[in-house]
Amino acid sequence: MSLLEVGNLNVQFHKDGKKIRAVKDLSFHVGEGEIVGVIGESGCGKSTAMRALMGLLGKEADASCGRFCFLGEEGTFSPNKVQKKMAMIFQDPFSYLNPTVKIGKQIEQAVRIHSGGNKKERKQRVCDLLEMAGIRMPKQRMSQYPHELSGGMRQRVVTAIALACNPKLIIADEPTTALDVIVQGQMILLLKRIAKETKAAVLLVSHDFGVIASMCERVYVMKEGTFIEQGTAEEIFYAPQKTYTKDLLKNARRTRIKADATETEEVLLKLSNVTKLYSNRFTQGKAAQKEGVQNISFAIREGETFGLIGESGCGKSTLAEIVTGQKRPDAGEMYYRSFRTDLLKKSARKKYLEKIQMVFQDTCESLNPKMTAGKALMEALRADKRQILTAEERKERAVQILKDVGLTEEDMWKYPKEFSGGQRQRVCIARALIRNPELLVCDEAVSALDVSIQTQILRLLKEIQRRTRIACLFISHDLEVVGKISQNVGVMYLGSLVECGNTQEICTDPWHPYTKQLLECKPDPDPKKARRKKYAPLRERQEKPNKGCPYLGQCGYRMECCEKAAPPRYQFGSRKVACFLYSKEHRKGNTDMPMTSQI
Amino acid sequence: MKKKKNPCLLYGAALLLLWIAAALLVPELSPYTYTGINADIRNQGSSCLHLFGTDKFGRDIFVRVWYAARISLLVGVTGAGINAAFGLLYGSISGYVGGKADFLLMRIADILASIPSLLYVILITLVMGAGVESIIAGICVAGWVDMARIVRGEIIREKGKAYIRAAQMEGIRPLRILFVHLLPNVAGPILVNLTFLVPQAVFTEAFLSFLGVGIAPPSASLGVLIQEAKSQIQLYPYQMLYPMCILCLLILALRLFGRGLENVYGEKTER
Amino acid sequence: MAVYTMKRITVGMISLFVLVTVTFFLTRMMPGSPFEDGNVSASVTEAMEEEYGLRDSPVKQYRTYMTNLLKGRLGVSYKQQGVTVESIIGNAAPVTASLGAAAVITAAVAGTGLGVWRAVSKKKTVRILLSGGTLLGAGIPNFVAALLLLLVFGVTLKWFPVTGLFTPAHYVLPVLSLSFYPTAVVAEMIYNTFAEEMKKEYVVLARAKGMGFWQIAVFHVLKNAWIPVLNYLGPLSAFLLTGSFAVESIFNIPGLGREFVSSVMNRDYTLIMGLTIFMGSVVIGVNLFTDLLCAWLDPRVRNSYLEKRWGD
Repeated sequence: MSLLEVGNLNVQFHKDGKKIRAVKDLSFHVGEGEIVGVIGESGCGKSTAMRALMGLLGKEADASCGRFCFLGEEGTFSPNKVQKKMAMIFQDPFSYLNPTVKIGKQIEQAVRIHSGGNKKERKQRVCDLLEMAGIRMPKQRMSQYPHELSGGMRQRVVTAIALACNPKLIIADEPTTALDVIVQGQMILLLKRIAKETKAAVLLVSHDFGVIASMCERVYVMKEGTFIEQGTAEEIFYAPQKTYTKDLLKNARRTRIKADATETEEVLLKLSNVTKLYSNRFTQGKAAQKEGVQNISFAIREGETFGLIGESGCGKSTLAEIVTGQKRPDAGEMYYRSFRTDLLKKSARKKYLEKIQMVFQDTCESLNPKMTAGKALMEALRADKRQILTAEERKERAVQILKDVGLTEEDMWKYPKEFSGGQRQRVCIARALIRNPELLVCDEAVSALDVSIQTQILRLLKEIQRRTRIACLFISHDLEVVGKISQNVGVMYLGSLVECGNTQEICTDPWHPYTKQLLECKPDPDPKKARRKKYAPLRERQEKPNKGCPYLGQCGYRMECCEKAAPPRYQFGSRKVACFLYSKEHRKGNTDMPMTSQI
Repeated sequence: MKKKKNPCLLYGAALLLLWIAAALLVPELSPYTYTGINADIRNQGSSCLHLFGTDKFGRDIFVRVWYAARISLLVGVTGAGINAAFGLLYGSISGYVGGKADFLLMRIADILASIPSLLYVILITLVMGAGVESIIAGICVAGWVDMARIVRGEIIREKGKAYIRAAQMEGIRPLRILFVHLLPNVAGPILVNLTFLVPQAVFTEAFLSFLGVGIAPPSASLGVLIQEAKSQIQLYPYQMLYPMCILCLLILALRLFGRGLENVYGEKTER
Repeated sequence: MAVYTMKRITVGMISLFVLVTVTFFLTRMMPGSPFEDGNVSASVTEAMEEEYGLRDSPVKQYRTYMTNLLKGRLGVSYKQQGVTVESIIGNAAPVTASLGAAAVITAAVAGTGLGVWRAVSKKKTVRILLSGGTLLGAGIPNFVAALLLLLVFGVTLKWFPVTGLFTPAHYVLPVLSLSFYPTAVVAEMIYNTFAEEMKKEYVVLARAKGMGFWQIAVFHVLKNAWIPVLNYLGPLSAFLLTGSFAVESIFNIPGLGREFVSSVMNRDYTLIMGLTIFMGSVVIGVNLFTDLLCAWLDPRVRNSYLEKRWGD
C-alpha cells in the first residue's frame, strides 16, 4: 500500500507580472518504508516540489494538486499548511538553524509540539533523538549553539529535529551536498539506519547519482519541472531510456577528459617544504593549536595539470594564496622556473607572479557586479605593465579572449548578473587568461556548478591547455573532478600533503590510509557497488595532534611510531607517500621487492 | 524588465526640491524683508498680505520662515557634507589598509564617539561665539564617526570578495582598486546614510538655536524662530507652528528620499 | 570576555581623560568670567577670581583640578555659593534618570509593538498608516514634539500639568515628547529586521517543525531582530539619561540638562566640568553595558572573543 500518492502537482510563481511554472504535473507515489530518490540538476524544481508537499511554500507561490493521499487518507492538499507525520531535512545545515538559540532548545520545540510531555520527559526525548542522530554526549551538546558545531554535526541536529516530528515520511532535500566526502558517507549511513529503525519512508532529493545509488530502491529523474523517467534504481542506472538521463550518468562517471600529453620536463613551479602556520585566534595562549600548511613539497611542470584534493579546512586555499604570492611562507622554498621567489620583496615578487593567475570558486563574488564583462577584461589588461595597449587594442583582445572561452562579442556589455553560473566562470577564466599567464590556479573553480556544466568547463580548460600549454594547479575537494582533469595529484590532510603522484595510479591503487578512505567514501553512481560499500564508522573528527602523524586520530592502521613523530615522505618512483607503513623498518628486509600498497 | 514604482523616492525628491526652491526664492521675491519692522501690524494672524501673519515686531513670518530655512539648509548640507567626506575618507583608509592602522584609527573614533556630542557642540559654540561656522564646527566634531564606521564595515565586507583579490593579483594599484572597484559597490549604504546625516545636522542646529547658543539674532534659523515664538505660546501659537511645520517638512522630505534610496539599493542586493 | 571588558574599560578611561582635558581648556577659552555681573565692579571680580585661583596659568589650574579629581573631589560651584558640585548632580541626576528610563522603556515597548504590527498586518491601510507614522515620528525633533504637546495638551486642553515633576501626571508630556523620535526609529528597525529575519531559512525549519506563526515570531525572529535595536537603544539611553536639555528647559524640570545649560550660561566652571565628567562616564558605561548585553544575547558575538568549535 502506498504511503503517499500525489497526482498532478503544479506550482507556479508570479514574478514581475509573469507566471513561471516551476513544477508541472508531477505524479508519483512512495510506499511505506520505501526509500525513493529524486534526481535532477539545480533549478529543475526538485526543492520547490518537495516544499509544496510539506506545505512550506511562501505566499508568492501558487500550488495545486490533483490527487493527494497521505497515510491512506484522501487529504486535501494545501501548500501553506505544514503536514503532520512528515518531516524535512534541508541542504545547508547552517542557515536552517537559528544562530542565537541553543540546539537543545530548537529540538525541544519540535518535541513539545509532536510528543508533548513534561519538561523532564521532553529533555530525555531530546537526548534520545540526538543519540539516534549519531551525536555523542548529547547532554553537553544540547546547550551549544549552532556555530559551535561542525557541518556534519549541524546536519545531524537538523536530522534530530526531523525525527522529533515522529515522521512517517522523511523528505531529505540534498542532505549531503554541503558536507565533506567522508562526512557525506557517514550521513548516508545515518539516513539508512534511521529509515530502518523508525520504519519511515524516505524521499531523497539529490543531484548526486552516487548518493541516490547508494540508498534508493526507486528513482525519479526530474527535468524542468517534470519527471521524465522513473523506475527501479537498477533500471535507471543500468538501462536508462532517455538521453538526458544517459548524459547525466555519463557526466557522473569518472571519464577522463582526453588531451594530448603536452607536458614537458621543464619544471615551472616547485615548492619544497613550504610551511605557513597561523595560530588560531580563538585559541591564543592555549596549547599551540596551529592551522595552515606544513612541509608541502611538489612540482608543476609546464603544460601539466596538478590536482590538489582535501576536505574543507585542510589548507588548500592557504596553499593557493602562497602560490599566487598573496601570502609569504614562514619556511621552505618556492621556485618559479629557477628563481627563488619566497625571499623576494613584495614588489619584486610581483614580476614573477604576474605569470600566475587565479580562478575562484564563487562565480557571483569573483566578478565586480558594477562592471561589464568587457570592462573587467580591459581593466585586467590596463594593469599590465609589460605591454601598454591603446583602448582599441584592449577591446580587440577582450573580444578575442571572450570568443576563446566560448562566449560572444555581445557578452562584452553584459553585467555579471546577466550571465548564468557557467558563463560567469567562463568570464573569470577569460580574465585570468587575458594576461597570458603560464600557470593558472583554479581554487574549487567548478565546485559550485552542475555536473554537466562542470564537464563543459573542464573541457574548456583542457582545450585551452592544449592550445596555450599553460600549466594548471587544480584545487578541489572532489576526487571525481580532479581525476577527470589532472595528470598528477596531491592529497592533503590537515595541512600536510599525505600522498602525491600519478592521478590514475592513486585513484586505482591508493597507498595512504586517508586516500583510501576518501576513495571509499565517494559513493559510486552504480547501485550494486554503492549498496555494498562500507562507509567509515561514525567518528567525530579530532583535533590535530600536536605531534605525530596528522591522520593519527582517524587511522585504522596506527602504530606506535605514528604517535611519536610525523612520518617523512617516502618516495617510490613518481609516488610519494607520508606514512610509516612504507618505512624501511616496516618493510623488514623485503627491500628488493617493488613496493606495493600496504593496506 | 519593467521598472518598479518607488513612490517614496519620487515624492521625497519632489518635496525636497519644492522646499529648496521656496527657501531660495521666497525671500528674493517677497516685498518684505526678514528684518523689516512695522509697529502697526504686530502679532497679526494670517492674511492675504502676510501669509503666515506677523510677529511681535510686525515682521512678516512667511519671509522670515523661508529666510531661516535657508540657514538651516546651509548648516545641514555643509555639516553633512563635511561629515560625509571626512567619514568616507577615514573609513575607507581604515577599512582598506587594515592591520595596525585600522586599529589605531578605530580607537580614535571610539574615543570621539563616546563623548556626549551635544555637550561638545554647546561648549564649542560658546568658545567660538554664536554663528554658522561654530555650529558647523560643533556638528563636525564627532558627526563623521558613524559614517566612518559604516564605510569601514562595508569596505571590509567587500574587500574579502574574490573580485577584489583578483584585481590585486592583476597588479592594479590600491588607489584604483579603492575608487574604481570598491567604492561603486559600497555606494548604496553610504548614500542612504548620507540622507540621515542631513536631518541630523538640521536637528542639531535647530536645537542649539532653540537653546539660545546657536545662530545669533537678527540672523535667524528655524530654531531661533521657534525659540522667539515660545514666549507667546499661549497667545499666538501659530507663530511657533509655522516654523515647526517647515522644519518637519524638510526632515520628512529627506527621510522619504532616504527610504526611497534604501528601497532601490535593497532590491539590488536581493537579486 | 574578561579581557574584552578590560580593553573596553581602558578605552573608556582614555576617552574620559581626553574629555576632561579638552573640556577644561575649552571652558577656560570661553569669553567672560564667572564673576562678571553688571552690579559688581571690576576690582571685586578680580578679587573673586584671585580667590578661586582663576588668575593662575591654565596649566597650573589644570594640575590643581586633576589632583582634586583624583582625590574624588569635583569642587564647589562658583555661582551657587557653598554648594558642592556633587550635591547638585546628586539632586538633578535622579530626576533626569527617571525621565530617561521611562522614555527608553516606552520607546522599546511601543516601537516593538508598532514595528511588528506593521510587519505582520495584512491590511494595506494599516501598513501605510504605520509607515507614514514612523516617517513622521522620525521627522520631529524632541523639542518640537515637546512644544506641540505643551500647546495641545497643556495649554489648550489643560489635561496635564506642564511645569515641574511632582506627580505621575507630570511625567506624561515630557516622557511622550522624549520617546516620540526613538519610538519611530525602533519601529522602523524592528519592521525592517523582522521582515528580513522572517525570510531566513531557519524560519522554514521552524515551520516544518510545526510551530505556529506567533511562536516563531516570538521565540525565533524577535530575539534576533532585537539585537540591532539594542545596539541603537544603548547610545540612546545614554543620551536620555545624561540629559534632554531642551525638553527639561521647556517643561521646567530641574534635571541635568537644565543645570548644564545654566552652568554654561553662568560660566560656572566647576559645575560644567563636574557635569561633563558625570555625563561622559554614564555614556561610556551604558555603551559598554549594551555591548556586553549584545554579546550575551548573540552567541556569535560572544564567541568571537574566545572559545572554539568542536567536532570539526
